[in-house]
Amino acid sequence: MNNTLRPFMARITSIRKETYDTNTYQFKLKKNPGFSFLPGQFNMLGIPGVGEAPISFSSEPDQKNKFEHTIRAVGRVTQAITQRKEGEWLQIRGPYGRGWPTEDARGKNILAVAGGIGLAPLRGFLLEVWKNRNDFGKVVILYGARTPDDLLFKEELPLWRKRPNTQLLLTVDEIPPKTRWEENQGVVITLFDRVEISPQNTLALICGPEIMMRFVVVGLLQRGYSASHLYLSLERRMKCGVGQCGHCQIGPKYVCLDGPVFPYNEIRGLPDTLV
Amino acid sequence: MVKILQKKNFCRWIDSLSRQYALIGPVKEREETEFQPLRCPEQLEMDYISTMAAPRKFIYPSRQLLFRFTPQGDDQLITEEILPQSQQILLAVHPCDAHAIMVLDRVLMGEFTDSYYTKQRQNTFLIVLNCQKVDKNCFCDSMGTGPFLHSWMGQDPAKGCDLELTDLGDRYLVEFLNGKIRKLFSFPLETANDEDIQLKKKREVGIKEKFIKKLNIENLPSSLRQNMDHSVWSRIGEAICLSCTNCTMVCPTCYCYNTVDTVKLDLSKSERYRYWDSCQELHFAEVHGGNFRSTRGARLRQFVLHKLSYWMEQYGCFGCVGCGRCINWCPTGIDLTEIVKEIRGTKINEQYS
Repeated sequence: MNNTLRPFMARITSIRKETYDTNTYQFKLKKNPGFSFLPGQFNMLGIPGVGEAPISFSSEPDQKNKFEHTIRAVGRVTQAITQRKEGEWLQIRGPYGRGWPTEDARGKNILAVAGGIGLAPLRGFLLEVWKNRNDFGKVVILYGARTPDDLLFKEELPLWRKRPNTQLLLTVDEIPPKTRWEENQGVVITLFDRVEISPQNTLALICGPEIMMRFVVVGLLQRGYSASHLYLSLERRMKCGVGQCGHCQIGPKYVCLDGPVFPYNEIRGLPDTLV
Repeated sequence: MVKILQKKNFCRWIDSLSRQYALIGPVKEREETEFQPLRCPEQLEMDYISTMAAPRKFIYPSRQLLFRFTPQGDDQLITEEILPQSQQILLAVHPCDAHAIMVLDRVLMGEFTDSYYTKQRQNTFLIVLNCQKVDKNCFCDSMGTGPFLHSWMGQDPAKGCDLELTDLGDRYLVEFLNGKIRKLFSFPLETANDEDIQLKKKREVGIKEKFIKKLNIENLPSSLRQNMDHSVWSRIGEAICLSCTNCTMVCPTCYCYNTVDTVKLDLSKSERYRYWDSCQELHFAEVHGGNFRSTRGARLRQFVLHKLSYWMEQYGCFGCVGCGRCINWCPTGIDLTEIVKEIRGTKINEQYS
């Protein structure tokens, strides 16, 4: 009988600094050749003596035993993780949960709406799209961050913008003095009027703070998107990742098992959530 | 197979079991009865009504060591799994609590199997004792889990329990629910006759008439879902509930846990524990930058709706077995059956008059 709570060790092969509080960690597994995951799924990452936290994959899934997690140091576990160096290891178990609807998205346009660290779970999906570009229609990415310094994947964003049939719009809430910023300022929904895509045959994939997702959903429904075309990735604290610690429940749903990516219709009207 | 165990042989039987197994049963503890490890058969309190804590703690302890981690140099980590080793018998568990354990089986031994729970559960014999008394807050009859043991919402006693005892005065009716338990009798038992079986039925009919507390479960999951904005949540939650977590600590089906890591002072080892958590705690639904159930009303609603509504969608049964403990032990007298009556728009205390 496998112990579902037993973590294995995964070595950090490289660390990329994204912002002042966010790093991307790459892991390579030697002993676990069967490990595979889907964009939008997550691992429980842990450190003995500190604990575990659920973190989404931020890399594309076809590199089976090589994967990345983009982690913002905000809690006890994530702050401890940022003390780790290249060559050191973390405890890992997973992959868990339901990812983005990659198969349903084939043949459709994609509207990816991300706020803050919410771009990390979407990055794996987008990298998958770039690899199979002809399988998807137009791709529009709306990405909002607090300040220009908070933008993730700064080196990749200009490359995404150059992709064929792709529109990338950036926005920030605040522009600190002496900071150069030529893009939009305002919350992410202020970009909606510039989106060059029709609601028909478009899936909207949304990840960010719940209050942002709430307004994104309202805005998209007003613009004619059907509720069944909206997908949201939710965040809750989790201790197990396998539907047993109870922490991530929203009504009858377990974010760890039924999500973290939910079709909007499944969570519409549930209590104790902002969306 | 239905047998008779004379009460005069009862202690002898329990004594014989104690040589092989850790025995846990209801024991008088000051004013209360509690499930405890037995020191001697005479301690058993066979005509108890309810216990403060549910027997779940002997299968799913309130605090449990999961792993011990020992780093070896910079590169290696030894991970020890601390699985429970005890072979035990839970004695005289009432039908509601037996069904609660089978509810926990659905949660912890489903698609993902919890190794710790499963190991202890597989090493536990469950001996059910049908009830002879009804407390003012018992409503197992409404839920369908008691007062006598029957199948309930897909839970088959033959799969989850081992032995069913019914008090018939000077003797127990002993029903073997599966073949495993036969080896637990070192001496032959008389075969029960029709009269004994009729007497059991009569006793069941008799006790079912004694229930005071009732809950109408018809369409209950959906009618609660339609009333998530009902004023009862904020009124009772904010004005009466203390968020003390008693309800979730005594509940026989609560399974939520938190984990905590501890480190030895010389940093040579660390340990990962889990302990029962409660949705009534403020921290429970906290995330970075917010809390999804920051009000007591939202937390009370979570407890009641989980037990009586969400559970049905998650596991195909209620998460409430009608044991009445959350009512017994609420320091401010909150009663989920009264909350349901208020939501259903029936006058409180008059619905069944």
